[in-house]
Amino acid sequence: MRRLLLPSLTALLLVSTAQAQDLTAEVAHSWTSGGEAAAVKVISDAFNAKGGKWVDWSVAGFENANAAYVSRLLAGDPPTAKTAVAGPEVTELVAQGLMNDIDAAFHQAVPDGVVPQVVLNAITVDGKVYMAPTGIHAGNWMFYSKPVFEKAGITAAPKTWDEFFAAMDKIKAAGITPIAWGGQSWQEGIVFHGVVLSTIGNAAYAKLYTDKDLAVIDTPEFAQAVKTFARLRDYVDAGAPGRNWNDATAMVIKDEAGVQLLSDFIKGEFTTAGEVAGTDYGCALTPGTDSLISLADAFTFPKTGNADKDKAQVLLAETVLDPTVQAQFSVLKGSVPIRTDIDTSGFDSCAQEAIGLVKQDKIVLDAAMTLSPAINGAFKDAIGAFFADPSMSVEAFIGQYKAAFANG
Amino acid sequence: MADPSAARSPASGPARSGATGRLRLPVAALAALAPAWLIILVVYLGTTVWTVQLSLTNSRMLPSNEFAGLAQYQRLFGTARWSISIHNLVTFGIVYVLGALVVGSLLAIAVDRRVRFESMWRTVFLYPYALSFIVTGLMWQWLMNPEIGIQATMRAAGLGWFTFDWTTRPDMAIYAVSLAGIWQSAGLVMVLMLAGLRGIDADLWRATRIEGIPMWRTYLTIVLPQLGPSLATAFMLLTMGAVRTFDLVVALTNGGPGQSTEVPAKFIMDSLFARQDLGLATAGATVMLVTVMAIAVPILYARDIWARRRSGRL
Amino acid sequence: MQDPFPSHARGPRPQGLTLPRIGLYGLLVVAALFFLLPAYVMIVTSFKSMDEIRAAQIFALPHMLDWSAWSKAWSSACAGVNCTGVSVGFFNSVKITIPATILSVLLGAVTGYALSFWRPPGSKLLFAAITIGGFIPLQIFLFPVVRGTAALGLYNSLAGIVLVHVIFGLPLTTLLFRNYYASIPVELFKAARVDGAGFWRIFVSLMLPLSLPMLIVAGLMQMTGIWNDFLLGLVFAGRDNLPMTVQLNNIVTTTTGQREYNVHMAATVLTAIVPLVAYFVSGRWFVRGITAGSVKG
Repeated sequence: MRRLLLPSLTALLLVSTAQAQDLTAEVAHSWTSGGEAAAVKVISDAFNAKGGKWVDWSVAGFENANAAYVSRLLAGDPPTAKTAVAGPEVTELVAQGLMNDIDAAFHQAVPDGVVPQVVLNAITVDGKVYMAPTGIHAGNWMFYSKPVFEKAGITAAPKTWDEFFAAMDKIKAAGITPIAWGGQSWQEGIVFHGVVLSTIGNAAYAKLYTDKDLAVIDTPEFAQAVKTFARLRDYVDAGAPGRNWNDATAMVIKDEAGVQLLSDFIKGEFTTAGEVAGTDYGCALTPGTDSLISLADAFTFPKTGNADKDKAQVLLAETVLDPTVQAQFSVLKGSVPIRTDIDTSGFDSCAQEAIGLVKQDKIVLDAAMTLSPAINGAFKDAIGAFFADPSMSVEAFIGQYKAAFANG
Repeated sequence: MADPSAARSPASGPARSGATGRLRLPVAALAALAPAWLIILVVYLGTTVWTVQLSLTNSRMLPSNEFAGLAQYQRLFGTARWSISIHNLVTFGIVYVLGALVVGSLLAIAVDRRVRFESMWRTVFLYPYALSFIVTGLMWQWLMNPEIGIQATMRAAGLGWFTFDWTTRPDMAIYAVSLAGIWQSAGLVMVLMLAGLRGIDADLWRATRIEGIPMWRTYLTIVLPQLGPSLATAFMLLTMGAVRTFDLVVALTNGGPGQSTEVPAKFIMDSLFARQDLGLATAGATVMLVTVMAIAVPILYARDIWARRRSGRL
Repeated sequence: MQDPFPSHARGPRPQGLTLPRIGLYGLLVVAALFFLLPAYVMIVTSFKSMDEIRAAQIFALPHMLDWSAWSKAWSSACAGVNCTGVSVGFFNSVKITIPATILSVLLGAVTGYALSFWRPPGSKLLFAAITIGGFIPLQIFLFPVVRGTAALGLYNSLAGIVLVHVIFGLPLTTLLFRNYYASIPVELFKAARVDGAGFWRIFVSLMLPLSLPMLIVAGLMQMTGIWNDFLLGLVFAGRDNLPMTVQLNNIVTTTTGQREYNVHMAATVLTAIVPLVAYFVSGRWFVRGITAGSVKG
């Protein structure tokens, strides 16, 4: 036994010095707002604890972040990892041979069947997993201030559009801004697609945004969505144009507005402000919808050509998929964890509802996961222009919206 | 004073008169110009050619060599946002350039009238030019914010009718951008016009007063024409700046509300990076280039003729 | 010879406080208020507390000079997860601006000198190309220059962003110097050549000293332009060399629930300070330079 000790010790020493490799990962993201930043810190702390070295590269505003990222990618000097929506934004890069896969790490960290199939499909290209998903966000949520609802005499969250507008009228009568609106086209896009889901239903939604069946746009249900969306104009305040999403959330937190219609990532702001779901604020799906318009965020890993960086990528992927990290991250970010096998007791009531819906497969895929950035961008252009211009007709908007699909 | 550059003979003249009497090519001069030539050919010309070439391909996120003819241009002109961007740029450009020229000229005339504390006035009017467009855009964004800016202050002071919310109104937002731009650039125009004014012969003023011509007539019909070169320079600098407008829009309105302050420079940036649409972006850039050249080249040519005519006459 | 850019008007001073005179000063005062207003609001707001700001009295003086917004803006304001304030950006901007200014001014001086006095074959074409090049929008260059600097191994480095600034500064500096040299009597140059001096000798011992005003001016204009640049810094500077303007935009668009306007305004003023100080200190040089460079030719 003793004779083996020295060689074993030597071997151990060699192994441990070999372990002193550089696991630095430069991570690009635009999760810069309060709740998001706290959530990212969960991952970075865990990564550092596992021996990695997290170097943050956060650029505020995801359009600017993309600009800087694409520049570096094209220049052959990409960061080690970048957050992205799991969809064509990434699969196009994979097709160009610019990304590393983390297939082995993924299957080691996550048992089969734990991740919902739609998500798995989104992160897999040619049979290999390329992204480490962090969580699922749903776009068709309505967050409301309980004190404002009480003051306006609204007893339950509206479930139909008629109930919704009635409630908004009551809030208006009480002298409070009904809808906290962020007048930026990407936010308006999220709201619009929630309205669309409510009028055309799950099947048609998938047909349009996954299968690109443009006939759906010509249906009266779609036109109804446009009209309902247009009605929302009457319930936003004068400061809405250009408002950032978290400034709008702040209005609801401070009980200066009734509701905010946006994705559940805004929940992080409530949490950071110390508000409690069910007491200070409430949540419900956008009236008329019963499924989540889902969008999975993920870490993506550009090809680096550097063995150490590749190892850092694997470590990062493992960190992200770790059950504890998944849970803690999602609590702070307001998302639904990707893994369905973790303890969800620490989540608040809104998250629990979302988790339940995911388990029941009540999911439709967000267009950002199925259509190219160019098409999604054109959507935003049309929607933003429409909302800002009350004189634009429904037909004109529908024409522009349809034309967006031509952007390939 | 005669334009000395016209009287200059090329360097090969003096070279011949050197001690050896040999004709020497100005090698050193050519070598010294090599960096400039390199930059012009490789960067300015080379990238322009590459950009135009890309606009004729099917490129999406990465360049491809698949020839696509004028398809990208057809897409471009069919894109509502592009037409709106051009339209906005023209509106902005006209208001900005005219506004800066008028305000700057008036300031120059005012300061030229032998006022006290002249350098103080000049300093005050010119300092915005030293600021970044990002700084200017942010400043004016806050001032025009209806909730915490000028409007809110006026209303809190009792003037309930006061509105100054241009950045939140699609029909007025582009004028907000123009206003911020004029604020930034009027001082530059003032300085240019002032130098031109100072170059006018003192005798001229005396003569017009003796003739009894009213001051405003003097300015309009005699002085302003003489300020031609200064005006042309100012016009050129302002137009150059207007076409490149990007930072100001990003900081002030980020293209909104809706698309009312979208400008071509921003369209190209967004297409290139956010939308990963290289073909469309380069098509837009090429159109911008052609437009700018169509304006700049005639003006430069006219200036050249004018300068030569003036020096030939004197 | 008449001073080509006299600093005072030469006509006789109009007498007394006539009505047009009052109107003139009135116009100047109103204009001054218009120009000073934003700066005043910025500075005043940066010393206020958030409660004072929400009271929407932007013209009011702060209750007390609260420097906390300033120290936060400098050292701890958050742009994303990095909470370093604009101080990092400040030093990056310094590192970028100094070499880029020196190099681009020297390049412009040499180029202008060669084009103005020596005029080797192709000069007219080159100058026309440089001038026209100054009009080309930057977006045309972005993608190819990104690829080019990457091929040279300079992308995302300090050298890369400096090079990019030198390249795009060529039109302005060349224009300034060439026009400036056009006003220098050619006899000086001819005399030096007769004495047997060559290209560089004449440049270093004759032209450079004569160009002092324009060196200062071109330096000022380049320094201001480079410090204030946003687009090139966004695309080329990379994570480690982000200039102050990009950092400022990051800080202002990063919000943690409540927008801290006082911090944002302090950060904005800090970003504007360097060019402003240079401008105030240089005063007359700045003005002379703009005029000398632009009016002639």
